[in-house]
Amino acid sequence: MHCNRRQWLIHTGAAFTGAILARRALAAPTAPVSVARCKTYEPAQLLPVMDKMFDQLGGLARLVRNKTVAIKINLTGAPTYRVGYLPLEDTHYTHPNVIAAAVHLMGKAGARRIRVLESPWSTAAPVEEYILQANWEPRDILNAASNVEFENTNWLGKGKKYSRMVVPHGGLMFPAFDLNHSYEDCDVFVSIAKMKEHATAGITLSMKNCFGLTPCTIYGTGAGVDEPSLIPKGGRSLVHAGDRQPSKSAPPEKDPSTPREDTWRVPRTVVDLVSARPIHLAIVEGIKTMTGGEGPWINEELTGVAPGVIVAGTNPVTTDAVSMALMGFDPMADRGTPPFERCDSTLRLAEDVGLGTRDLQRIEVIGTPIAEARFDFAAIRQKRRSAPPRPMGIRG
Amino acid sequence: MVVQWTPMRWPNAWTDPAALSLLQGTAIDYLLIGKGADLQAVRERALASGLRVADLDSPPSGISILKGEWPGVKMRRGGAAEINAGPTGVPWVDSNGWNIRLSQALNPETSVWVDAPPADDARLSAGSYPIAIADSAAHGGRWILSLDPALAKGLAGQRPEAVETWKRIAGAAGFFASHKDWPAFKPHALVGVISDFSGKNEFFSRELLNLLARAGQHYVILPKQHIGSGALFGLRAVIYPDSDAPADALRKQVHDFVQAGGLLIGAPQWGGPPGTPVQSTEGDRYSVRNLGKGRIALSYTDPDDPYLWAQDSVLLVSHRYDLVRFWNCGSASSYYAVSPDGKRAVVHLLFYANRGPDSASVRIAGRYREVKASTIDRPQMSRVDCELQKDAMEVHLPQVPQYVALELT
Repeated sequence: MHCNRRQWLIHTGAAFTGAILARRALAAPTAPVSVARCKTYEPAQLLPVMDKMFDQLGGLARLVRNKTVAIKINLTGAPTYRVGYLPLEDTHYTHPNVIAAAVHLMGKAGARRIRVLESPWSTAAPVEEYILQANWEPRDILNAASNVEFENTNWLGKGKKYSRMVVPHGGLMFPAFDLNHSYEDCDVFVSIAKMKEHATAGITLSMKNCFGLTPCTIYGTGAGVDEPSLIPKGGRSLVHAGDRQPSKSAPPEKDPSTPREDTWRVPRTVVDLVSARPIHLAIVEGIKTMTGGEGPWINEELTGVAPGVIVAGTNPVTTDAVSMALMGFDPMADRGTPPFERCDSTLRLAEDVGLGTRDLQRIEVIGTPIAEARFDFAAIRQKRRSAPPRPMGIRG
Repeated sequence: MVVQWTPMRWPNAWTDPAALSLLQGTAIDYLLIGKGADLQAVRERALASGLRVADLDSPPSGISILKGEWPGVKMRRGGAAEINAGPTGVPWVDSNGWNIRLSQALNPETSVWVDAPPADDARLSAGSYPIAIADSAAHGGRWILSLDPALAKGLAGQRPEAVETWKRIAGAAGFFASHKDWPAFKPHALVGVISDFSGKNEFFSRELLNLLARAGQHYVILPKQHIGSGALFGLRAVIYPDSDAPADALRKQVHDFVQAGGLLIGAPQWGGPPGTPVQSTEGDRYSVRNLGKGRIALSYTDPDDPYLWAQDSVLLVSHRYDLVRFWNCGSASSYYAVSPDGKRAVVHLLFYANRGPDSASVRIAGRYREVKASTIDRPQMSRVDCELQKDAMEVHLPQVPQYVALELT
């Protein structure tokens, strides 16, 4: 084969990189994942199930005793939009009872302080005010343990300055992020996600939940050019589309010549975020959820479903890999294969940088076997996508 | 105040009295006809057929005419019809509701007509007219029916699409004319806005009313020159945005309200308030003091941004007490009014996009047993799917047009 020096460098470079990544994949850490069936959000059933799951992972006390715990929940999109008439927590928001149960069990296990964190859509209002609009009662969570508080991390919040969180492996997209202080001022970081498909990233589980760590005052549509804006406005279009850089006070992208495609950028940004802010406990809640995408704004046939499953693990990659398998997807899937038809796999990228393995052969599953708890999102996806598109109504 | 008439601006191009036949069987009973000699025959025929006639420059007694805006989502002019966004990217909506209510509060004995004709170059859909009529009527006023030139011409020529639009206009006018009791209903409110609404306070206080409605805050207007002793009863908060100090009697009345558990949101001009300071947090725009069972929140700076004040009031009062919550409703607004005997209520829902929503839900605070929905197209009340909650009910609406009335009993 004849090739010029540039082609030779590309070929050998790719082969070399591939070999390194293969070695990293083999070396990527593993950790057990607990799976449980749970059919309702009734605390009488939910609490013992979650308690047992945490015991199966070695006990919460080992993780949280005398520690400040930060819990990132998943309240994507405005609280004024639902899938049909269904409550938000039955489709795309992490259910308040799951959050309250986790808070309660952490308090019982000796957590010193628990902060429940979210970056609500386009507002600097307190999280309590946001969830009231979803018909939730904030006290159900605040009173689940002692010393519990909410913080809106979509802006500076209660901090004096943003925290610079460095990506240890150098970053696939960003070398570091400027985040709300709560992500630094904690000893233990927990991601509680909803088990869902995602229009841009294929799936949204414990890692993708962390996309919302980025404050829109710096990474959002209305971010300040030089300094962060005072209040967040709009979504994170600059991370999605790469049409501009974050506020100059924060580290810019490493290489502005990389693709300006959300399906390339979002998975990499997520991996950078969970590298900069490691997850100590990942919980994926799929008791009730939705198929078709991550929220009501997605232009697919959206359906509320009840898989009746909950997943937890101390490694977000292994936890997400088991969650994918429970959804009927192959966690080893890569771009071009469902659910990553159009995007890169966040799991593969995370594995490549050494965050954890996605290889089910290397992951111990405790509790309910995957085959007994599987809810086949993949089959529903295939059926949905082979059907002719349905006419969409107008929501407002 | 009683809304007596349904007014219409007679198109100047309709010089043939035969066009009056369009009004037969409609609720339109007051014509505002231009002064031109070529309209004299129309004027005479109208009077002869029992219609009332006046011109815009000399409205009948007991009527206030407001210069209003064409209600709806604000669109950019020229080029593609782009939606104009507000400060947070939310589409900007023009509504005359606040202005009608202010006029009623300042002049309780008069009825309000809104003069907001479509622009000559307006491109209106058939749904634009019913929302214009509903926006005024839901708030107790009447929009002066004003046809755009293309529609007037089409109607004169009996073009089918123009006739169809006219039927919708007549239907909307008739719907509200048939609910003569609604204007007597009183606003159900969380917040009272106290101001003189004039002079140096005029712009801020009036824009505040406009933006409170857009923020979903349910308010009652309290002109400070005549606030009755029970005016603050049932409210959770009062807003005093004026840049001059209140009279002693008003200050005492509001402090008593706060002592009993209310909230005062005011400007620095309120003066040094009693009470215990509450620790503020970074970014707060108000110093907060506890007084009795309530709180006083005074802004650090003079009122300068009514948008922020409206948004802040929602948070200071808290969404916990929302009277109406919307889901899947887009650019929506509501006006919640209660019958004088307190036994019935009507919640007017206005959806300002070109179409009404599908699968919308509305949560209404209050203890009611039953809810019925009616629309302009379906004025007969029909039961809707409803879920009773603690001190509230949640209504699930099917695909609906741009205006829905929910009657609660």
